Amino acid sequence: MSEETVFPTETDVLPFDLEQTPPCVDDSYWSRLWAYRDAVLVWTGLLLAWSLLSVLVSQGPNPLLPSPVATAQALWDSLPELWRGTIASLLILVPGFALATVLGIVTGLWVGSSTRLQRALFPVARVAAPVPPTVYIPYAIAILPTFRLSAIFVVFIGAFWPIFQNAAAGAHALEARHRDSARILGLKGWEYQRQVVFPAALPHIFSGMAVGLGFAFILLTVAELFGANAGLGRFVQYYADFADYPRMVAGILYTGLVTYLAMTLLDRVRQRALFWLR
Amino acid sequence: MSDGLLLDNVSVHYGAMPILDRLRLEVPSGQRVSLLGASGSGKSTLLRLVAGLVKPNRGRLNWRGQPIQGTSLERGLVFQDYSLFPWLSMVDNVALAVGKAKPQAGKAERRETAVHFLRQVGLDEALGKFPFELSGGMQQRGAIARLLALGSPLLLMDEPFGALDPVNRARLQDLLVEICETARPRKTIVFVTHDVDEALYLGDRVIMLGSAPGRIIADLIVPPPRRRDRRTLFESATFHALREQIAACLQADTLQRLAA
Repeated sequence: MSEETVFPTETDVLPFDLEQTPPCVDDSYWSRLWAYRDAVLVWTGLLLAWSLLSVLVSQGPNPLLPSPVATAQALWDSLPELWRGTIASLLILVPGFALATVLGIVTGLWVGSSTRLQRALFPVARVAAPVPPTVYIPYAIAILPTFRLSAIFVVFIGAFWPIFQNAAAGAHALEARHRDSARILGLKGWEYQRQVVFPAALPHIFSGMAVGLGFAFILLTVAELFGANAGLGRFVQYYADFADYPRMVAGILYTGLVTYLAMTLLDRVRQRALFWLR
Repeated sequence: MSDGLLLDNVSVHYGAMPILDRLRLEVPSGQRVSLLGASGSGKSTLLRLVAGLVKPNRGRLNWRGQPIQGTSLERGLVFQDYSLFPWLSMVDNVALAVGKAKPQAGKAERRETAVHFLRQVGLDEALGKFPFELSGGMQQRGAIARLLALGSPLLLMDEPFGALDPVNRARLQDLLVEICETARPRKTIVFVTHDVDEALYLGDRVIMLGSAPGRIIADLIVPPPRRRDRRTLFESATFHALREQIAACLQADTLQRLAA
């Protein structure tokens, strides 16, 4: 028996009243909360593991691994001190990172846009960039008049190379159609850099800034271990010297939180600046 | 000395592959030339040569008696792909060209002129939008507005209407004809297309390029009147005769290429 093909009628195809149709995306409070269930599970698991380890590993009145409760108490008690440390650290991090960002972008874009400059400067960059910035710390402390200047210099060196290299790569990777459009429009020099090369290279620049910011935090805390009298790295070092492990662990967690907040802020700025890539 | 565009014995090759071979072409100022040819016949390369984006390996190119060396605001080019800057709004994209055409104009005047050109191509609703918010056809209309805003006497157009829907395509063809007929001095246009009807409607002259390597295989004059009415032209015996002549030329070139 042959089956007759039945084509859908208009009524079959459109049986819905669009106003009555439920939305495709459930945007309720519970559904949004449900989306974070995995993250909540991971955090809960980590806290449980930490509690268990602190009981199993640490014995005695001053355990090496304090419990989450003891750490939270130490964190609460140390908040004023940590806040002052944050200000002191930011007074080093912000100028160093800002200087690295400005100089890294400006020099990176110019070098990336010019084959001649690339030939001249890339060999220097290839030698200088891989040197671990921590090796500059004793030298910087020796040659610069204050600890703060030395630390700013070290943060600058750590953040500069990733930003420079990414800005240069972004300028070098400028799409041919944008380069040709700019030439047809007669854009040259500063105007060409500002209107075309800089915005086109922004995705690369933000990648470099994210790497640079990570390095900047590492170097900041390392530099503070050497001779600071305030700051997040100094806080951790100070209480480690006194074997006050709850405060030390609180300082480590607090530093992690500050780094996370700074990275999140940079990511928000990136999302806003790169609106055309959404 | 030519007062328009002159290509004298021009050859271009990429590596060992010849793209254009000893091309000779003279386009008087104010003439509209449609370039037809199979893919790979060097039509886009020819436009890029005239724009100054590519240098010839041999021969000389002149515009208004001066050798072509690099790009110039005298020679505007609209590309096949969408070439607007995605980080600038439509108005800012066009205002960039206005700023080049009228360097003395203030910010408000640049913006006003940009809006005028965007309205001319029917983008009234998209003035503050960004290219990524618009369809491909609307983006291409924005690119055409930017080209018009540049005010170049020589317009080079590389399949600019290829991505447009038939209604907007016809509308922009009419706009281009109108601009050519009203602009004083008249604009010179070199227009690349794959569409024979479009080539005949827009061109005073249709040049066909044969492929591998690119060379001129036919040069046809589309008879006046200049004031074109689409229906009258498409129904005329002359149009049909030219259409058949072009089709025969393209077919002969294809057969020759296959035989080779």
